[in-house]
Amino acid sequence: MKHQQQSGFTLIEIIIALSLTAMLLTMLTAGLYGVVRDWDDDASALDDSMDLAVTVLQLERALLGAFPHSYRDQETLAREVYFKGEEDSLAWVSEVSPGRQGSRTAWQLINDSEGVLVFLTPAMSDNPDERLASVEPRLLFPGYTIRFEYLYEDLEFERLWRDSWPGAEVNNLPLAVHVHLTPDDEAANEAINIIAAIPANRHRAIRPNLELIQ
Amino acid sequence: MKTFLYNKTRHQSERWHKQRGFTLLEVMVALTITSLVLGSIFTLAAGSKRLAVSTQESVRDSAAIRARINLALLDNQFRELQFPQDMEDGDFEIQAGERPEDPIRRTEPLRDLLEFYEITYPAQEAPLTGTRWVRLELPE
Repeated sequence: MKHQQQSGFTLIEIIIALSLTAMLLTMLTAGLYGVVRDWDDDASALDDSMDLAVTVLQLERALLGAFPHSYRDQETLAREVYFKGEEDSLAWVSEVSPGRQGSRTAWQLINDSEGVLVFLTPAMSDNPDERLASVEPRLLFPGYTIRFEYLYEDLEFERLWRDSWPGAEVNNLPLAVHVHLTPDDEAANEAINIIAAIPANRHRAIRPNLELIQ
Repeated sequence: MKTFLYNKTRHQSERWHKQRGFTLLEVMVALTITSLVLGSIFTLAAGSKRLAVSTQESVRDSAAIRARINLALLDNQFRELQFPQDMEDGDFEIQAGERPEDPIRRTEPLRDLLEFYEITYPAQEAPLTGTRWVRLELPE
């Protein structure tokens, strides 16, 4: 009799034990899953913000290394300086570009529905516009809108900002460029400001037309 | 055969009677150890999360400070610099400081001189300092 009473666990006992174990394991797994996912989110957010910081630095350096690249206009045969600054887009030639050591590169930044696009192409002696139009753009700042301001000095030596810079007419580069990046989602990201002075703002031979921007 | 089996089981069942389960103390010790281990793992995860958030913040701050430093370098004495829109928030203050001492061998008056500048902003107690070129109205 005694043998029959204590021969093992009853079905109920096993079911209860199994279900308790299963519950505990489920809770543990759920907790661990949450922790791991959180960890991954942090890591990818950190990666993104590092990428953004590096991109901002590279853009600043590229603007700092802006070069008064000139080309001959095929219609008027006059030499013009390439720097097309608008309020929402900018095209210029830089001496400092990631991955292109020592060679001048034409940059173009425009707004797109996904973010800010960049076009990069080597700058030859002609107008870089055509070559810029034939390259594939890259998404530089996803989820941001870009705006530019250009610094000039007026006749009273006041330093003022304006929102366009027609390099072909002025034949000169601005003293500095202010890049303002506004996030589409104001809650998640903050606006970014980039200020880059342009030391090489005069072409060595072409006379600037500064009257045009006074 | 049957008696042997019976005997063995009875022997086992007697041993079971002595050690039928864990005592309350054992269970509590096991639970405490488990919770300590789990707790330390979760603390580690929380610490790394805090680190990630603060890193993101300082990366963002350093970008803003870079913009201010570049602005300070553009802002020279007697050359009034208009601050760009949305950067005149007043959190950051750029102040001109003194000029470093003249070198001993300086022989003629110069217009372009070095000057110290200071940037103060609320999050930082010590101001950022640097030097910049200034162009004076008259040579000194």
